Amino acid sequence: MSDAKETIEVEITVNGKSVRREVEPRLLLVEFIRENLQLTGTHVGCDTSYCGACTIILNGEAIKSCTLLAVQADGGEVLTVEGLEQDGQLHPLQQAFSECHGLQCGYCTPGMLMSSLALLAENPDPSVKDIRKRLAGNVCRCTGYQNIIKSVQSAAKALQEG
Amino acid sequence: MEMKFTGEFKVDQTRDKVFAILSDPEQFAPMLPTFHSLEMKDERTALLRVKVGIGKIRGTASTELVLDEAEAPLRARYIGQGKVMQGAYKMISSFELEESGDGTLVKWQGETQLVGKILSLAGGGMQGYAEKEINKLISSLQNALSKNPQKTESKAKADGWLARILRKSDAGESTEAINDSSPAESIISAGLAGLTEDQLARRTENQSKISKILSAKRSEKRLPRKEDMRLIRGQGLFTDDFHPAGMLHMVCVRSPYAHAKIVSIDVSAAEALPGVVCTLTGTEVKAQSNAFTQLGPEPSALIEDYCLAVDVARYQGDPVVAVIAESAQLATDAAQLVEIDYETLPVVVDCREAMEAKTVLHEQVGSNYTWQGEYEYGEVDKAFDEAKHVVKIDDLKFHRYGSTALECTAVVATWNQLDELDLFCNAIMAVPIAMIGPALNLSSDKIRLRTHDIGGAFGNKISVYPFMALAALASKKAGGAPVKWLETRSEHMMSGGHGSERNFFDTEVALDKEGVITAIRSTHVDDCGAYPRYEPLACVIWAQVMPATYKLRNMKIDMRQVVTNKSPTAPNRGYSRLPHLWFMERIIDVCGHELGIPADEIRLRNYIKEFPYTTPNGCVYDSGDLPTMLQKAKDLVGWDEWKKKQEEARKEGRYIGIGIGTTLDSGTNNFGQSQIINPFLPFTGQSQASTAKLDLDGTVNIAVGSFPQGQGHETTSAQVAAEVLGIDTDFINVKTGFDTERNTNTGTGGTYASQFAVTGLSAVHGAAVKLRDEMKKLAAFSLEANEDDLEFGVGEMGPEIRVAGSPDKNINFWALSNLVNYNTAALPEELRDLHCNVRHVYVAPFQTVDKEKKYGNLTLTYAMQLHIAVIEINKETAQTKILDYGIVDDCGTVINHMIVEGQSHGGAGHGIAAALLETMPHDKDGNVICGSFTDYAPITINNMPELKYENMESPSPFSYNGAKGMGEGGGAPLLSISAAVQDALYGDGFIVQNSHHSPMFLYEQLKNYKDSPISVETR
Repeated sequence: MSDAKETIEVEITVNGKSVRREVEPRLLLVEFIRENLQLTGTHVGCDTSYCGACTIILNGEAIKSCTLLAVQADGGEVLTVEGLEQDGQLHPLQQAFSECHGLQCGYCTPGMLMSSLALLAENPDPSVKDIRKRLAGNVCRCTGYQNIIKSVQSAAKALQEG
Repeated sequence: MEMKFTGEFKVDQTRDKVFAILSDPEQFAPMLPTFHSLEMKDERTALLRVKVGIGKIRGTASTELVLDEAEAPLRARYIGQGKVMQGAYKMISSFELEESGDGTLVKWQGETQLVGKILSLAGGGMQGYAEKEINKLISSLQNALSKNPQKTESKAKADGWLARILRKSDAGESTEAINDSSPAESIISAGLAGLTEDQLARRTENQSKISKILSAKRSEKRLPRKEDMRLIRGQGLFTDDFHPAGMLHMVCVRSPYAHAKIVSIDVSAAEALPGVVCTLTGTEVKAQSNAFTQLGPEPSALIEDYCLAVDVARYQGDPVVAVIAESAQLATDAAQLVEIDYETLPVVVDCREAMEAKTVLHEQVGSNYTWQGEYEYGEVDKAFDEAKHVVKIDDLKFHRYGSTALECTAVVATWNQLDELDLFCNAIMAVPIAMIGPALNLSSDKIRLRTHDIGGAFGNKISVYPFMALAALASKKAGGAPVKWLETRSEHMMSGGHGSERNFFDTEVALDKEGVITAIRSTHVDDCGAYPRYEPLACVIWAQVMPATYKLRNMKIDMRQVVTNKSPTAPNRGYSRLPHLWFMERIIDVCGHELGIPADEIRLRNYIKEFPYTTPNGCVYDSGDLPTMLQKAKDLVGWDEWKKKQEEARKEGRYIGIGIGTTLDSGTNNFGQSQIINPFLPFTGQSQASTAKLDLDGTVNIAVGSFPQGQGHETTSAQVAAEVLGIDTDFINVKTGFDTERNTNTGTGGTYASQFAVTGLSAVHGAAVKLRDEMKKLAAFSLEANEDDLEFGVGEMGPEIRVAGSPDKNINFWALSNLVNYNTAALPEELRDLHCNVRHVYVAPFQTVDKEKKYGNLTLTYAMQLHIAVIEINKETAQTKILDYGIVDDCGTVINHMIVEGQSHGGAGHGIAAALLETMPHDKDGNVICGSFTDYAPITINNMPELKYENMESPSPFSYNGAKGMGEGGGAPLLSISAAVQDALYGDGFIVQNSHHSPMFLYEQLKNYKDSPISVETR
C-alpha cells in the first residue's frame, strides 16, 4: 500500500544513455524499463523469477529485472535487447537466433538473448551442458529449446570466427 | 496467503523465568532473526525495524509488535504487523508454558498472513523461507531461555495448505535464487558506492566482457522469417506494450473459495483511494449486460455466465469485483481494500461427485451435466459376441494441465461514446465477437477486434472473452477511456484456462485371435470446470479421431461432460483429440501386453494402411503411411539396441521402458460438428479469407484472417504469394496480426485446429492468383501483348511483368498500380473493373453432418506423428529420465521445413512437460495447488531431452498444395511416455491409469497401487 507517494531519484545508464527519473521506491526495475522508459522489448512472464522473460544485463551480469527494484539499480548500467543492435546491424547472436529458428512467438526471446549474451561473454565456447545450465532460468513455451541450443552454438561459432 | 507453524521444545529454566523473558517485548524482540533495531512505545508495544528480504529483494520494514496476551506464568501472545515491499503481513506468535521436571516445556504456535505483491515476488519460495526463519527464531529462543542449550529437535512443521503443494523435483535452477536467501545480506546496490574492491573488480571485468561481445563484427544477412525482423529486436507489439493515451488499468478481486455465496461487497474504501476511477460488481454487470450465449443445448443452455460472479462464486479465482484505476499498482492497492463476505458452499471437484449431483453448481440445470450423448457405430454387441479375447480396463484418467503461454491474457478495451468497442488483445479467434456482441448488446459491426504480436496461446486464450467483456464494461463506466486488463501469472495458474480432464470408465475391448481390435465400448466423462465457455464442444471434437490410427469398425462411446468447482477449462494444444488418442494408445498397449504381442507388432496389425480411409463415423483420413513411420522412428532411436539394453538393465534391477505414441493431428475443422452437440447451432463448414493488394508504390500487401502466435504466418503467406507472382518474398508485405477492419474475417477466422497451411494459405493463394490475373490483364493492355506471352520477374526497376523473350517490353509493379489508382482515365472501359485489390475466401469442401447418426467428415486433413520414447524410472524416487527420443512427422507437403520442425519440437516440449512435470491439481476444497511457475515448474532447457527428428511427406489429396495443418501436434509424448512408463513397470504388475508421471505423482501411485484395473476373458 502506498500511503505516502514518496519518490526517490535514480540515475541509471540504459543502453549507453544516462537517464534520471523520480520513482516510487516500490517500482520494479522491469516496470521502470517498460513503463518509464517505454523500452517494451523486455517482457514479464511470471513475476516470480522463474521464466526469465525480463532478463537484462545489469553491470555486466544477466539479472531478472522483475525481482529487482528500480532503486536497486541506481548508479548502474543496464543493457536491454534494444541495445543489441548497433548502427542498424543486428548482433551475431540475434542473427543466429533467427537463422536457427530459435524463436517462434518472440516473447521469451529478449530474455533468452540477454542470458545467452552473458553466457557467451563469459564462456565463448560453451558445451551443450553449459548452455543448458546457463539458460535454465529462461522459459520458452514454443520451441522445445532444441533450436535455442543450436542458436547459441551458432552464435558462439560466428563470434569466434569474428 | 496464510502459513501456520507449530512445535514445542524443552528448556532447563523454571517456568516463571521463561515467562519473564517471553513476556517482555524488549527481551523478546531481539531474538527475531530479522531484528534490526527497537524502540519501546509503551510497556507492551515495541516499534521494530526488521530486515526483510527474499532472494534479491531486500529492505527494512517497520513492525509494531504488541504483547497482546500475557497470563503469568502460563501463556504469552504477540501480534506483529507491518507493511513490506508491495504488501502487508501479520504475524501471531503464542507460547504456552508447562512445567516439565526441573524445566519448562514451551509449546509454541506461529501464524503468518501475507497479502499483496510480495507473494508473487516470493512465489513458492515463501514457505521454505518462512520455515527457515521460524527455525532460527526458535533456536534463538532456546538458547536465550536455557542455562545449557538442549539438543531437543524442534523443527517448524507447516500445516498450512502450502505444505500440501506437490513439490517438483526438477524445477530448474532459477528457484535457487529464491530459496537460498539470507536476510543478513546487505541490500544490493547497483551503484559504485559501498562496493568492495573485489566486487568492483568483478563488475569491471563483467562489463568489459559485455562490451567486448557487443563490439563483435556484424554482417547483414537476410533473416529467414519475416516476423523475426521485429521480434529479434524486441520491437514486437504485444498487448501489454500497447499504451494508448489516458489508459486506465483494471484488476480483478477474485474469490478465494471454490464455491461460496457472496453475502456482501463493500467497495467504498477502494473507491475512496485517490487514483481509483470506479469499480464493478456482479450486480452491476448483470444489470448492464446479458449472460453469455451457451453453446450447449438445454438444459445446460440455462447456465447463466456473466463476466463477474453474480451472487455465487463457483471456482477459486472467479472474479467478483473489478477495480479500475490510473495505474496497475493503484488498482492492485485498491483491490486489497475491497471487503467481501462469503458464505462457503459444498465443493465438487471430482467428476464422480459431479455426476452424483449431491451439490449442483447451476441449479436451473438440474444436474451437473453440460452434455450427454452416445456415439455408436457398426455392430458392437455382435463384435463382442464373436471376440476371441475381451479386455476390460477400468478408470483411466487424462489429467488437467495447461500449455501456459509465456504471455498471459491481456486486452485493452475502449468503448467510446458512439458505442464503438475497440479490443486490442491477444485473442486467437474471432469467436469473442460472437460472444461479446450479444452480451453487451453491440452489433458485431461496432466491435473492432485486433491483435498484433501474441506471446503464444496454444488454444488457452480462446475462452477468456468474459474478461474482454469486463474490460469493455469498465471502459464504458470510466467514460470511454481505454482500460487495460493484464492477467498476472498467478491468476493464469489459478484460472486462466487449463485444459480439461477426461475420465474413462468401464472400457471393454474386443479382439480377434490375431490381436486385432474389433470393437470398443466405454464411458468418457469430461470435466470442464465451473462454466462451459467453449464447451461442450469437446464432447464432439474427439470424434474427429474416433478410431485413432486403427482399423476397428465397431465403437460405442457414452460421452458426457460435467461442471465442477474448478476454473472453466479452455482448449489446450491437441484439444479433445489428445485425451482420446491417449486412451486409444493405452488400450493398444494394454491389449498387446495382455495377449503377449509386442507393442510395435500389435500396432502393425491394427494400423489403417490404405488411404483415403473413411472412419466408422464418416471422417476421411486423407493420406499417410503408418508402417513406414514406425520403422523410421524405430531406426531413429535404434529400437533393437534399446530392447537389448532394456533386458540387460532389467537383470540389474533397473527399469527401462520403450514406448510408442501414434497420433493424428486433425486439422481444418468442419463447424458442422457443433450441431452434433446442439442441433440449433447455426454453424457448418469452415472458411478463411485473405486480401491481396498491389499498393500505391507497387508493394504487394497481403492480409490474412488468422491470429498468429509464433507459427510464422507472415513468412509462409509471403512464400505462397511470391511463388504465384514470380517474385521474391522481400517484395511481399504481410500484415501483422488480425484486424476486423482488414475485411479478412469470415466469422470462423482464427488460429486454432491446425488449419493455416490449408485454409489460410489456400486463401492467400486464391487472392494472389486473382491479383496475378488482374495484373496480367493490365500489363497485356499496357504492353500491347497477349496475356499468354507474359511472365513475372524482377527487372532493373524491381518486380515487373514482361513479354517472354523480349525483356525490354516490361512494366513494373509501380506502373501497374499507377494504372488502377492515379491514372484511371487512361484505362479502357473494359478494364475499369480491375483495381488490383482483391479478396479471396477459401471455403473448405465440407458437407453438413448427419446430426442424428453423428456422421460426417469432421476435419479435412490428418497430419500424423509417431514418437518413440525411451525412459528409465528410478523405482526408489519414481523419477523418470528420458534416455532417447525420436519423432517422425508427416504433415503432407511441407511449405517451410524450418517452421514445421520448429512446431514439431514445440509440440513435443508441451507433451513431455505434461507427461513428466506439469499438472494443475486441486485439493478437496477446490484450492488450486500450483499457484505460480515455481510450483508448476514448466519445462526448462535443462529437463528437455534432445529430440531426434525426421520428416516424411504424404501429400493430402484435399488441399491445393498437398499440405496438412500440423501446429497442434497431437501431443504424442503423452502417449509415448505413458507407453514407456507402462513398458518399464509391466513386470511389476503396475498398470498406468493416469497421463501424468511426475515423480511425486508416480511415487504416490506406486505406493498406493492395489489391484490391477485389467481383466481378460479369452474364449
